[in-house]
Amino acid sequence: MLQYTIRRLIGMIPIIFLISVVVFSLAKLMPGDALSGKIDPLNSDPAYIEEMREKMGLNDPIHVQYVRWMSGVVKGDFGDSFVHKREVMELVGDRLPNTIILGVSALLITYCLAFLMGRFSGRYAYSMGDYLISGFNYLALAIPSFVAALVAIYIFSINLGWVPATGSIGSGVEPGTFEYFISKAKHTILPALVLGSLATASYTQFLRNDMIESSRKDYVRTARAKGTKESTIYNKHILRNSIIPIVTLLGFDIASIFGGAIITETIFTYPGIGYLFVESVNARDYSVMMAIAMMLTVLTLVGNLIADLLYGLVDPRIRLS
Amino acid sequence: MEPVTQPTTAAVGSMSKPPKSQSPWALARRKFLKNKIAMISLVFLITVTVLSIFAEPLTVPVEETAKINLTQMSKEPSAEHFFGTDKSGRDVFARTLHGGQTSLLLAFSITISVIIIGSIVGATAGFFGGWVDNALMRFTDFMMNFPFLLFVIVLKSIFLESSTATLIFVISVLSWTGTARLVRSKVMAEKENEYILSAISIGCSPFKTITKHLLPNVMSTIIVQATLTLAVMIVAETGLSFLGFGVPMNIPSWGNMLQEARSPDVLTSKWWIWIPPAAVLTGTILSINFIGEGFKDAFNPKSNR
Repeated sequence: MLQYTIRRLIGMIPIIFLISVVVFSLAKLMPGDALSGKIDPLNSDPAYIEEMREKMGLNDPIHVQYVRWMSGVVKGDFGDSFVHKREVMELVGDRLPNTIILGVSALLITYCLAFLMGRFSGRYAYSMGDYLISGFNYLALAIPSFVAALVAIYIFSINLGWVPATGSIGSGVEPGTFEYFISKAKHTILPALVLGSLATASYTQFLRNDMIESSRKDYVRTARAKGTKESTIYNKHILRNSIIPIVTLLGFDIASIFGGAIITETIFTYPGIGYLFVESVNARDYSVMMAIAMMLTVLTLVGNLIADLLYGLVDPRIRLS
Repeated sequence: MEPVTQPTTAAVGSMSKPPKSQSPWALARRKFLKNKIAMISLVFLITVTVLSIFAEPLTVPVEETAKINLTQMSKEPSAEHFFGTDKSGRDVFARTLHGGQTSLLLAFSITISVIIIGSIVGATAGFFGGWVDNALMRFTDFMMNFPFLLFVIVLKSIFLESSTATLIFVISVLSWTGTARLVRSKVMAEKENEYILSAISIGCSPFKTITKHLLPNVMSTIIVQATLTLAVMIVAETGLSFLGFGVPMNIPSWGNMLQEARSPDVLTSKWWIWIPPAAVLTGTILSINFIGEGFKDAFNPKSNR
């Protein structure tokens, strides 16, 4: 297992290198350059602009620029944001907790809802409740996240006025206090609910089908023959076996939560990584954009590795080699 | 023994006209036609498509939908404007139909190119195996690492003069990987059959073997995949347009129309501007998903629903 993990991690290095080349070339292909935000906007003297370009190394050959950028990245330094006038890592570090809070709450909502619905559907398959749940699943699969977000804002923020529709924190709230926590929770719950409940469908279906399949297995028949209560059979014997495979989906979720939050964060103007990304593309803030693209791609790689490792942990029949 | 066998032969004789066994396609078609939800969805999808195609004769020419009409701003639904007008005085009904044309056409084009690229890569890798397979699949895995939305946005902002063609190109380039993997695994399983071996041994070229013998037999999988891709692509296009990275703003599309709901004023008090595209969009995706499920069911000989 350890050996496998190490081998996979080493195998990632050339892939990460290729990804960095792709990200860097894409950023270079984009119109305009990093200069626009850095120079004195009132001074349009060509000599001055040329001098600044030279000073910032924008006239160097492309591979020199790449090496300079990459050697910073290896040390965890993604350069400065031209719009926010501060270090990229600092900026990302500011926004990252918000995305993590949103992602973890969404994941919790997904797991809780999917567990409850899947357990019900699996136990009472082909009942009225099962059909209702699968109807909800079809709707959750079909409705685009931004439509769901609009409807949620319309109902819960505007008509009912329960939670605010934008931002991640109320104005003038001191960090660390109880009010801070409440305000944060109030701002997070709606986007998390939208992200989380739309993702339940595959989990619910997975759990349901696995439970139905398990309920026909021999060990269940044995348990029944021994006179075990039906609820014990379902809650102890079947559920325990069916819940494990779901864990493996976690790896894929790690990346999809960060990547998928772009739309949701933008609608709720929730200051996380996804919203920062959209902002930086619009403002041509290349260093921020490159940093986020790099980070999320590497996160996808790591997520896939975690998924594979979890597979091996959960099902000993799968030999990782 | 003789008297015993006689009735049997007689019985066989009486069935002198053996019922012509149905082709798998006919079986699938019959099963699909019996699937109520799928049929209702198909009717809905066809209705939406036909209405969108005939958007111009039904409402106004597409140039009209872009014109700003200050005297008709934010009018509620009335006999003159079925769904009212938006903040720039444009008829919401006409824009929903024209938007459907844009969104559906885009999704169809992307789906077709995704399926073509994916099938070519998947079939080549699966059929030849060896280093060809290895190289193509490593490349596919590599492409899979890029978070979809993120890189569409990056690629999209490279092209300065944004048109629908660039959008089709950009999305297709990033989304063929799943289809390639699926087709590869199906082709690999299918090519173990004897008929492929005999096709190769009578001298069929690889191209002919793939196109004439292999692909028709994995067609059902490809069709199901295409249906599901279509739904995903409608979501992708509208989502990108909603964020402002999709179809150019002057062209009506469902995503562009929904973008208006980002202003709190529209969302709060002018429901007729954003509910129609949202409802049609969700209904269309829902019906495509049901049709896809129906196909999957119809092509699966084990299911008896």
